[in-house]
Formats: sequence, structure tokens, C-alpha cells
Amino acid sequence: MWLQAALFFAACLSPAAAIYSDEVDHIDFHHALLGTPSPDSTFFLKPFTSSNASLIYTISDKLLVGAVNPRDGALVWRQNISRSADSPAHGAGLLRGLDGNDAVVAAVDNYIASWSAQDGKLGWEHRVSEGVVGDLELLELEDATATSGVRDTIAVVASEGNGIVKRLDGNTGKTVWEYKDASGDIPFQVSSSSTEVFYISLHSAMLKGFKIKVTVLDPLTGRQTRHQILNSEADVATPESVLYVGANSASPIIVWADKSQKSLKVNVIGTKEVTSIAIDNTSGSGIRQITVHAPHKLNALPHFLVHFETEAGAWAEVYHVDLVSAKVTKAYRLPYLSGQSAVAVSVIDANVYFTRVTDLEAVVVSSASHGILGRWDLQKPSSDIALHSVSEVVAKGKSVAVRTALFRKYGDWQLIRNGQIEWTRHEGLIDTVAATWAETDAQEDLAHELEVEGHETLYGAYLHRVKRHVRDLEHLPDWLKDLPKRILSSILTDEVSNLDSFGLAKSVIVATKSGRVYALDTGNHGAVSWGIQAVETSDWNVKAMLTSPGVVTIYSDDGGSVTVDVSTGEIVSRIEPSTSKLHSIAVFEIQDGSSLATVGVREDGTPVAAFANEDGFLVTTSIDGRVLGWAAKDNKTPVWEFVPPSGQKVVEATARPAHDPVASIGRVLGNRSVLYKYLNPNLALVTAVNEQTHTASFYLLDGVSGNVIHASTQAGVDSTQPIASAMSENWFAYSFWGDVDGSESSAKGYQLVISELYESPLPNDRGLLDSATNYSSTAILPLPYVISQAFMIPESISHMAVTQTRQGITTRQLLCTLPSSNSIVGIPRPVLDPRRPVDRDPTAAEAEEGLFRYAPYLDFDGKWYLSHTRDVAGINAVLSRPTLLESTSLIFAYGSDIFGTRATPSQAFDILGKSFSKLQLVLTVVALGAGVAVLAPMTRKKQVNALWRA
Amino acid sequence: MHFSLSSLLLLGISSLVSASSLTITIPVSSSLPNPHVLPATSHATLTTLPSSGKDHILSASLTRSATFVFHDLPSSNPDAQPESYLLDICSAGGYVFAPYRVDVAADGSILGIWETFRGNPWDNRGAEKYVVGVTGKKQVDVVVEAKVLGRKVFYEQRAQFSPLSLVKNPMVLLAVVALGLMFVMPKLMDNMDPEMRAEFEQHSRSSPITGATTSAMAGGGFDLASWMAGTGAPNPTASDVTQAGSTGRDTSGPARRRG
Repeated sequence: MWLQAALFFAACLSPAAAIYSDEVDHIDFHHALLGTPSPDSTFFLKPFTSSNASLIYTISDKLLVGAVNPRDGALVWRQNISRSADSPAHGAGLLRGLDGNDAVVAAVDNYIASWSAQDGKLGWEHRVSEGVVGDLELLELEDATATSGVRDTIAVVASEGNGIVKRLDGNTGKTVWEYKDASGDIPFQVSSSSTEVFYISLHSAMLKGFKIKVTVLDPLTGRQTRHQILNSEADVATPESVLYVGANSASPIIVWADKSQKSLKVNVIGTKEVTSIAIDNTSGSGIRQITVHAPHKLNALPHFLVHFETEAGAWAEVYHVDLVSAKVTKAYRLPYLSGQSAVAVSVIDANVYFTRVTDLEAVVVSSASHGILGRWDLQKPSSDIALHSVSEVVAKGKSVAVRTALFRKYGDWQLIRNGQIEWTRHEGLIDTVAATWAETDAQEDLAHELEVEGHETLYGAYLHRVKRHVRDLEHLPDWLKDLPKRILSSILTDEVSNLDSFGLAKSVIVATKSGRVYALDTGNHGAVSWGIQAVETSDWNVKAMLTSPGVVTIYSDDGGSVTVDVSTGEIVSRIEPSTSKLHSIAVFEIQDGSSLATVGVREDGTPVAAFANEDGFLVTTSIDGRVLGWAAKDNKTPVWEFVPPSGQKVVEATARPAHDPVASIGRVLGNRSVLYKYLNPNLALVTAVNEQTHTASFYLLDGVSGNVIHASTQAGVDSTQPIASAMSENWFAYSFWGDVDGSESSAKGYQLVISELYESPLPNDRGLLDSATNYSSTAILPLPYVISQAFMIPESISHMAVTQTRQGITTRQLLCTLPSSNSIVGIPRPVLDPRRPVDRDPTAAEAEEGLFRYAPYLDFDGKWYLSHTRDVAGINAVLSRPTLLESTSLIFAYGSDIFGTRATPSQAFDILGKSFSKLQLVLTVVALGAGVAVLAPMTRKKQVNALWRA
Repeated sequence: MHFSLSSLLLLGISSLVSASSLTITIPVSSSLPNPHVLPATSHATLTTLPSSGKDHILSASLTRSATFVFHDLPSSNPDAQPESYLLDICSAGGYVFAPYRVDVAADGSILGIWETFRGNPWDNRGAEKYVVGVTGKKQVDVVVEAKVLGRKVFYEQRAQFSPLSLVKNPMVLLAVVALGLMFVMPKLMDNMDPEMRAEFEQHSRSSPITGATTSAMAGGGFDLASWMAGTGAPNPTASDVTQAGSTGRDTSGPARRRG
């Protein structure tokens, strides 16, 4: 009932700037990302037995389990399992799927879960009480207990030197049996054939190296039937030395190479023999990597492929295993080709196919013979190195078709179908740490010309202008040529006019943790225009990105910077890193106001250098939780220092956005009097928490003098949950988890507090300053009058931002990132008005102002959701940017997913939307014309008749 | 039936662990006729203030049987205070669920579950969903039903173009009426008997507007601008209009006349 009431209220009052369903994908875009797919946990699989089409399943380095539609690269479902494990830092996750099983099983650390392959819903969860899951296999063998569509899982758990093999029921995740190996061997992998389960461990040899120990278990009871120890200690020095352990095969194999990489050792699991095969390296250079590709299917032919990679090229050899004698023989060889190559295996019925994708072509061969079944030239050879691939082969009579999902080194996941690139997922964007809007230099020329004109004599400037206009005439023929097309297309397309020229199609430059820089075109569904490797690093800690027309400069915490051309992605210049580590980087305008400069701030809060802006001041935070104020030309001693009370730690500091125009300096009340806003450009909002007493304090500081202008403390705050804050104009807002805390608060839940600052509590009164044109922050000033109000909100907010428009006339929205429902909501400011009357209905004057009765619970109306039904996960920051249209603000969100949209907080009042039907207008004009044509002769006749009659 | 069966199945897993588990089933309701349509990202969370190393945020994913299962609820030393959690269910499809209050004893068993109201004191409990018996016999696995409140509407409805809406437009209605009068009136006049017609004509002559229009029709030299401005007297009927229609306007004609 409460909710309904609240919903009703909100629906009545919000200016309803919601998205129309036909604007989805038109004004917004979303890259739903997974991250780097794990090479041995990525596969094609049919989501259920009777399905015709298969999906690509993977678990990424970010521990996201996901299914991707191979047709268009769209994400079908994904689950983040990093939070489910106790300590997910323990390396990569595992994902296994099996044809005939309608679920995929994922494991990370001590957590195993089964997810429905079709829609990603949880089947069962299993937490291993101790240890870490080392390997996982789905048991393909049929036994009496198995039901169709459900396969049991075998898992190896390494705990404190013991290996535990568990069989988990496919329906419930319950342990069917458990085999404990207390011999102290290193638990390594698990494998299975049609009749047996193998537990493979590494047994330390006397001197050095490891012997591979295979323990054969009965799949029904888990009892050990026999074991074998292979003499591999000379070759296997670390667990990584074992190249491959097969599973779910008629004759699973273990493959390792000797140290000099001269020969390959192959053992059919369960037998004693080790076949040694000489590696026939004719390439002349050393082998960099050996990978083994074998089918994971019980009824598939026991063939496998070994892929050898050198620095310059690669070749592959195919081997057959004799089922009876367990002998391994070489069948044929795929020739050495220079450049990159990636191989994938696929199975149709019992036949095994290998797909090899090189720089120039894609080739499919059958495992039985070396004849090439299909060859396609790649349309666009990529210079980006292919790391691994999975493929699916479809045989149609003699010919085959193949689609290969190829993962490249720089984070692109591509699907190549018969040589054509069908789609590319830019998984590298998942690491985005910083982003900024690019400034193109198109207007720069004109600005320059105008500047020239301004500096010349009157006559000279006139000549210059005439010449410029004559020069501009050369564009006239093109413009005239385009005119009919433009008119026609503007009538036919749904969008009334192309709004790109109003600054709605901006490029966004993003920098990722892996040292890459991408440009995304917000006017073109966020498509990647270019991507470059700016810095060779795996941990690029970008602190600031600065745009000037044509270029963007990216500053990292090591003092280095890279300047990149925004239109081409070329690196223009580069400053090598200095030694000192920076805590943050401050950006300010240099004296003439034309360009921006930066100054680094060390971890103790001191600026690295004195900065050039003479009137400027700087507020910094130090790593030990102090806030410092600095004047120009002095980076040694701070002007002021703010230290929170003992026990409190500064966690965040926010200021007003750089672009924050104020349309009106006062607020007109219902009785036509004015409350003047307290507009101080130097404000900083500092959040400090006390973890022991569960309190959070919010201090509003004057950045010049360091005076505390306003302070408030909230009790019962969970400091481990995000405390977001934002500030704009004369108001600030923050949110936190508030709990029941004695007398302070009796509610439990997430809260949002908004405070507005006014010059005086009295209308038409400007306090002591009155209409003074200048005032000094260091003088003793009256404190602002603060009105605050708290709202209970349904979920937590991890980040806050405010929409920015060109003049600030449009109502602002508080952009909140909701990590729980993976969405972004824009709360209209009028709803968050702290002057809403409490416990009474508004008076007529208040109603005229747009105030309505305060309700403690603020539910997020569906129409406020900028991300509507999209699942925008892992957002760390939201950027807003004004456009040339006052009504519209561009929004870009990044962190894990990438999301961009346009916000129109007061509706698109300055554009003709889709609802404006041009056709209707034309038809009306035509109808009116027709009406006139019909009526004109009639009236004329009548007039003539009347004259005759008169 | 289907749900209870599968949730029983799931309960089976949790019986392995000592602490109790909480299962939330989603009933079929008018706003959610099929709970299986909930997207896989739906999840339930139990949240409270962190205290003494216990998990203070627990999360459960949506299962294939459209339930949320919290396995072993956190327990601490027996003399600790019971913990009171807020249960939220978050669904990507815009379905809104009622928040619950879940009280968990120090040993990890559930003391009670009530509906709660946001923006109200925490002690203000709503409908009771489960409470531990007076005998103190603790149920290890608790199953409660979630309550679906409604569904959020994300999209604005665009006004559809329809001929009917065009007809409803007052401007169009006016035009239609005017047209109708224009075509139908003469016919009516023809069909009238001569006496009535004469009377009607008498009437219309005294009525200013019709008079003006007829004179405009007849004379052709009617100056609309001057008539609107209330100046000039092209003919006697029009000057009548001036007397009747102008209200204290500036009548110094020539300055405003446009010819």
C-alpha cells in the first residue's frame, strides 16, 4: 500500500523524461562485457538437448560466467561468481559443459555452482569446506543412476596437501562419494573414460621433478581400483610442464614434453606405456609453445592435434591413438606457416575436425586424413595476435562450414564465419579506468580565422572576411548536391533532423588498465573507432585525462603521460614516467584561460610543483586522511589543513563540477518572494567515516579558507558499503546504509540525504553580503542557511553524478548508479526538494512552487531509469556532458560495462521528437490545399451570383 | 506444487550443514503470472550493519525453480545478540517485491520473518511470515513466500497517430461544423416555407456577424482589417457592428488603417 501510494505520487509529479521504447538502441548503447575468456573454459554448446543452435560459453578472468550468441555476439546471460567465493583471488575459474547436459558447471576457489545453460539460472551451489577446487570434469558416462539431461560432476579439491576427489550429483550438487588421497602428492587433474574415473596427481620424485601418478577410481563407489606411476621426473619440473590431460574420451591422454623440447611424451591414461614422439622442428627456431587439442567426447575418434608455435610461425601434427593397443601414431602434419595461427577442435558425431585460423586464411581438416575440407581467405587480416579459439564445424554433404570464435591479444573477441568477420566484442573495454569526452578540432580553424580578423585593421579584417566567405563558396556545389537527399531522407527517416551537429555525436576516449586507449563514437552506438596500445603495462593507473581540441593527454600515477590524436589514435607525444608515485592529479586553467594544465599531488597531499595559476588554490587529500589547502606558488606549506576528529578517516571528497552554470541565483517562492541561493564556487564536500562507532560525517569546506561551512553526522552507517556523494549549484546529496541506532535513527535501510544552501532563511534577504560584487572567503562570513531532508531508498547507490546542460536552465537529475539492480537512475531534482512540507499537505503557495507532501520512502519510478531494462553491471563512474541543445545532456558510464545515453531531464523541449510526424504535416497541408482548390471556384461563383442578384 | 517440490529438493542440500537455511519462494500472482520469467540476474540480499566479523551482506541467486536459497546463515558465539536483517529482492525485469525483516539468532537459526515498510521504524513490523514456536523448537529450514507488489514501467508510451484523434481535434471539429453550415444551410433554406424564410432572413440581418458576412459576400468591397480594428464604415451594417463590437478602442481610424 505504501509503495503503491509512493509510486502513484512519483508518477504524478515527475516531469516524466522517460525513454520511449522506440528510442532504445537509437539514443543509447550498451556494451555488455565479460572480460578475457579463459582458453580451456570456452566452448560451443547446445543449451539443451533438442536445441538446433549452440551458444558460446565462457568464464572470464573477471570470473563472469556467460553465454554469447554466436550469431550476433549478443550476451544471452551472465553471472558474476567472484562474490560467491570466499577468496576469489585464487586464480582462474573453471567452466565445464557437456552435450546432453542442460547445465554448465563453474568453479572458483572453494565454490562450485551449476547454471542452467539456457537462461543462466542457478541449479545448485556447493561450497567446499576446505581447500580450493583444482579441476572439474563432467562425467559423460552413462550409468544406471543417470537421468537424461543431467550429468554428474567430478571435482578435485586441493586442501592442505591432501587431494580430495568428489563426485557431485548433477541434480542437487550433493556429494555422491568422496575419495581422499592423503599421500601428500600435489592434486593435479581429474579425467574420465567411458568406464573409469582417473585422479591424476604429481608425486615428488627423490631428487627433483615430479612423477605423474594416476589413480583409477570406480565411478560408482569412488573406491580406488589400481594406480600407476609414470616416470616423468626428468621432464616434469613443475605442474605447468604437463601440457595436457584429456578427459571424457575413449582413451584420454596425458601429454608432456622433455625439457629440450625435442620429443613429446604421450601416455594413454590408465596404461603404463609412455610413447615418445620426436618433434620434427624444421622451422629453425626454438619452440615457444606447445598446445594439445583433443576432442572431449566419449564416442569421438581418439585423435588429437599438437600445435607447435615458434616466434615466427607455427605448424601442427595430428596423431591417432589405437584403442586396443594404446599405441600413438602420427597421422599427418599441417604445414609450417609463418605468422600466427590458432587451432580449435570440433566434433560431429564421431568425426573430429580441426580448424586452423592463420593471418590470411581459415582451413578445416578432418582428423582422419590431411585433405583440406574447406579453405577461406580472411577478408581483413588482423595484425593483432590470435591467442586462442574455439570453433564449430557443420558438415553438409562433402562441404563444411565453420565458425570460429577467436580471442586476440588486445582483447578483441571475434567470430569468423567462413572467413568473414561476423562480429567483434571488444572485451578489453572491461578494464576501463578513465574516460573523457574528446574535443574535435573542426571548429578550431574558424576560431583561429576569427581571431585573425579581430587583430587586424578594420579594412584588413573586412577583406579577410570577404575572402573567407568567397572561399566558403567552394562548398556550395556539394551542399546543393546533397540538398535533395537531405530533404528526402529527413522526411523518410524517423529522426526529425540529424542532431549530430548539435554535439550529440561525441567521441569518448577511454583508457584501460591494460594500457590500451579506445575511442568510442557515441553517435554510432558506441562503436570502437580505434584502439591502440598506449603503454605496455598490465596495471595502468590513469589519474587524469585532459582534452584539448584534437588531442587527449592521459596522465598516470607514475608521472608519465601520453598524448593521443583523437581522430586517428596516433600517439603524438609521450612523457616518460618519473620516479615519484602520485596520489592524484589536479587539473586547472592556466592564466589566459585558454588551455588546461595539471599538477601532480603526492600521497602525502603535497603538490609536486608550484602551479602557475596565480589566483588559484588547490585542495588535496593525503593518504593518511587529511585535507590540505594550497595557495599558488607554494608547494611546501599548506595554507590550511583539515583533520577530522580522531577515529575518523576521510574517504571521499567532492566538489562542484567544472561546468556548473547557474540559471537563476534565487528561488522564487509561491508568494513571489525570493530565497537567494548560496553559490560558492570553492566548496568541497568531505566524507569521513568512523568504522568503530559506525558514524559518517559530512563536512562542507570552503576551499580557499578551509572553514567548515556546514557539518552533519549520521549514526548507524555501514562504512563498508559505498557512501556516494555529489554536489552541484547550491545543493549536495549523499547516500549510505543507515541502521537502527538508539535514539538517532529507528529505520534500517539505504538513505539518501539532500541539503540545499541559501544565503538567508528569510526570503528577499541576502544577509550581510547583500548585493556586494566582491567578497573574500577569508573574511568572517555568515554561514549559509541549510535545509536538509532524508529519504529512504530501496537500494544502495555506489556513485552519484549530476546531469549537466549548457545553460543550466533544464532541471537537473541526480544520476545514481545502482549496483544491486545493475542500473542507472536519474532522480529529478524537484522530487528531492528538502522544502517539501512534512506531515501536512502543501499550501496553495507551496503547490504553486511545485512542492508536494514529503514521504519518507522514495521509490525509484521506472521512468527514471536511464538504463531501462538493460543490465548495466559494474559501473564505477558516470560522466555527463552538455550539448548545444539545452534540453539534452550526454551520459557515459564505464567501469565494467560501457553504457551511453542521452538524458533529457525536462523532456526534449528544443527538438522535434519522433512523435512529430512530418507525413501528417505534409498531408494536412495537401488536404488544406485541396480544400482551397475545391472551395475557391464555389465561392467565386456564389459571389458572382450574389452580385447579379443584387 | 511444482515450486514446493523443487524447493524441497533444494532444502535437501542445506540439511547437510548445521546452521539453518532460508528459502524464499515466489508465488504466482496477478502481476507475475509465471515466476520463471524472472531474469537470471535477479537476486535476494540480506543486509545489516557489520558486527564482529559476521557476514553482513548475504546474496542468493535465482534458482531454476524460481526460488532464492540462503544456505547456512551466519552464526557466532551463542551469547551474542540476535541479528536483524533486511531482506531485499532485486529483479532486473522491474518486478517490485516487498522488503522483509529477518531476525536470526546467534546460533544461525531464524527467529522470525515479518514484512517491513520502508520509511517506517524498524520495530514497526507488518504481516508475520514465520516466527519460531513458543516451545522453542527451532525449524532448521525456513520457507517463506515473497510478495510481489507490482512491476515498474520503464517506457513512456508514445501517442499513436490515428484518424480518430484527428477528428477529435477541436480545430477540425470547428472546420467540419463550418463546412456543414455552408453546404447544408442553403439546402435547408430552400426547403423552408417562404414565411419562415423571410423571418429567418430578418433575423440574420439584425445579427451582426451574419450580417457582416453576407455584406462581405454581397459587396465584395468589405474591409476586414478596418472592421476588426473597429474603424471605418463601409456600409451601414458594418457601422452597426462597430458600435456593437468596439469597446473603448482607439477610433482615430486613419493611423491604423492599412488600406
